[in-house]
Amino acid sequence: MSSLPEDLALHGSLSANVVGFARHLRNLGIGVGPAEAAEALDALSHVDVGEQDQFRQALRICLAKSLREQQIFDEGFEAFWRVWDRATELNRPMPDPDASKASRSEALPVQLTLREWLNTGDGGDAEEEEETAGYSPMEVVTHRDFAGLQPDELDAMARVVEELARALARRLSRRRRAGGRGRIDIRRTLRKNLRRGGELMDLAFRCRRQQKLKLVVLCDVSRSMDLYSRFLLQFLYAFASAYRRLEVFGFSTGLRRLTTTLREGEWSRVLDALSRDMPEWSGGTRIGASFADFAENWSASLVDNRTAVIILSDGWDTGDAEILSRVMAQIRRRAFAVLWLNPLMGNPNFRPQTEGMRAALPHIDLLAPAHNAAALRDLASSLGKLQRGGAVRRPYARLCESDLPESSAAPGTVPDAPSSAKNLQTLAAEHAARKRLEL
Amino acid sequence: MPSPETERVQRELADQGYIADAAISMSLHLARILKKPLLVEGPAGVGKTEIAKVLARVLGTDLIRLQCYEGLDTSTALYEWNYQRQLLQIRMEEEEKGRSLEQKEAHIFSESFLLKRPLLQAITHHRPPVLLIDELDRADEEFESFLLEVLSDWQISIPELGTIKATHIPYVIVTGNRTRELSDALRRRCFYLWIDYPDFDKELAIVSSRVEGIDMELAEQICHFMAAVRQQQLEKPPGVAETLDWARALVALHRHHLDLATVEETLGLVFKDYHDVTQVKQSLAGFLASVGVRSALEHRGDVVADPEADADDAEAHTSAR
Repeated sequence: MSSLPEDLALHGSLSANVVGFARHLRNLGIGVGPAEAAEALDALSHVDVGEQDQFRQALRICLAKSLREQQIFDEGFEAFWRVWDRATELNRPMPDPDASKASRSEALPVQLTLREWLNTGDGGDAEEEEETAGYSPMEVVTHRDFAGLQPDELDAMARVVEELARALARRLSRRRRAGGRGRIDIRRTLRKNLRRGGELMDLAFRCRRQQKLKLVVLCDVSRSMDLYSRFLLQFLYAFASAYRRLEVFGFSTGLRRLTTTLREGEWSRVLDALSRDMPEWSGGTRIGASFADFAENWSASLVDNRTAVIILSDGWDTGDAEILSRVMAQIRRRAFAVLWLNPLMGNPNFRPQTEGMRAALPHIDLLAPAHNAAALRDLASSLGKLQRGGAVRRPYARLCESDLPESSAAPGTVPDAPSSAKNLQTLAAEHAARKRLEL
Repeated sequence: MPSPETERVQRELADQGYIADAAISMSLHLARILKKPLLVEGPAGVGKTEIAKVLARVLGTDLIRLQCYEGLDTSTALYEWNYQRQLLQIRMEEEEKGRSLEQKEAHIFSESFLLKRPLLQAITHHRPPVLLIDELDRADEEFESFLLEVLSDWQISIPELGTIKATHIPYVIVTGNRTRELSDALRRRCFYLWIDYPDFDKELAIVSSRVEGIDMELAEQICHFMAAVRQQQLEKPPGVAETLDWARALVALHRHHLDLATVEETLGLVFKDYHDVTQVKQSLAGFLASVGVRSALEHRGDVVADPEADADDAEAHTSAR
């Protein structure tokens, strides 16, 4: 790499270029502010800016604050500083500030609606919550069935799903704590201090602390789930990075633990790793056998009475339903609660009639949809309630009569009905066809 | 070419037995002169914590460590009143008529009844120490935002005492394992350094400088082996700490090169997870061959006197196929 003309700093173009570079990074999605740019300049005064390696490293330390940002930085650096090769261009105009402003103001409303939408779901109880018919693009996308998305909506949905996972993690991480140290435990205090003649020297405190909920997710990645598993896994990916008490398994014809892979870094990298780790990806489904594997090898160490087991599956099983029923009972005995999220429930006509679903039903505390972002958001309030020791544990029968067909569809699919409902029906038909092929 | 300054830092670190690449020495150099906290992330066992210890030695100052965990609260991190002493003091002064109630109260809430925890210690130390905030991602988010406040104001307010300002700004190293994403605000406040597993050359340099009396052939084999296993999908990929433990153990066992039996016997030093041990064991022979270690067949000549080891060997060898 050619060295920098010595008078660069004197020309004042170095600071201008660094500021321009910071702006460039901001456009690429790194949140650098003026403070960081100033720091970067400060740092540059302590290194030999004539050496490109040093120059680059100093900027990287100051401007890229996570592994993801480092990757963006590395990609953006060459492109921006190509001018280093041709010293004559050092005084080139900075990237057009208007252009960057325009792109930012475009992004802003979307972010805002997303936040608002999340907050409506996060705060209140799902039952009382009224869905307002919103017409923002974000609003539309959150109620769309994952399976019916257009290619240009995929990114928006991915963002919603990630944001949703973080909100869920935040909600579950919150725990109420007694002010200060909790109340004094008189009995223990007295006993502890008896030998001092009753002088209360050593105070014992009663500290009640809410345990965080542990979650184990079993996610169906068989072919019939293809249209959904992409988003469900992305949801789990974002969730896993923000919530520690989470274990994720994928299953189709066999079971694989995905927890470590999901925490491996960038989503694109994780996606590669996932397809490598799950050779059975998009294969058939043997829920019973997969769950038996889980019950035998994992549930003893991972599932206890503070653990909710969440199953994400359409319940199409080509294996033995009897095994499934037995294993579900086994898991249910160990766990605090078992939740089954079924993407097919987005269809108003859904009935849990597949053999697998029927076998599992008696051992499920809650059956809920998972076909769009709104359904995932509702999961947050179910889990929130669960953590507060609320009543999720209800027999399925009641649930089936009262909430199942209507309420499953109510928050999500009904408002923007005709098109997506049609989608769903065709989808269900396709599903059935695909399953027949698998068989 | 590294600058004289970073080269000097690199040399100083090397003198303390820490092999640093250009990125590490540059980060420490800048964090030190610009007095910014340095956030260090990376997989377990790559020497994140070690950086702080070595920095303290290089600077000839003290290391104050705050180990984070879930539920860490301010009374553990910052300060606590010494209740026992306070109660005792009250009892002792009961008879004393000379002092007013206010005076008594002011006395028991004075600095001598204050138990300083790491953060308060660090900012009131008699010279700037290195403050290591280890595994911050394990602490709750509330603690993180509290820490952010301390790191930007360098002062701590104690209701009974007033505000305590930092006498010196400590050198702060924050480490994280990415079990939880740290907040953007905290990241913005720090310089950032990502340390990955070392490449072969760096690891070899670490091993030969840290393990006394190690045979170069053995060191090379170990580092090749480690590089190869880290390519595998393991629950807990071995870090540099494991490499060093293993190397030291092998030196203590007077080995000059790796062989199948030795590796099998010492596998527990490298892999700390049951699934990993089983997985590696199954393909061990192939592994060793790929890193240029004598095959089990050649090796068998050495141990033929021991029929049991021989049987184990044969078993491992067959299962590897």
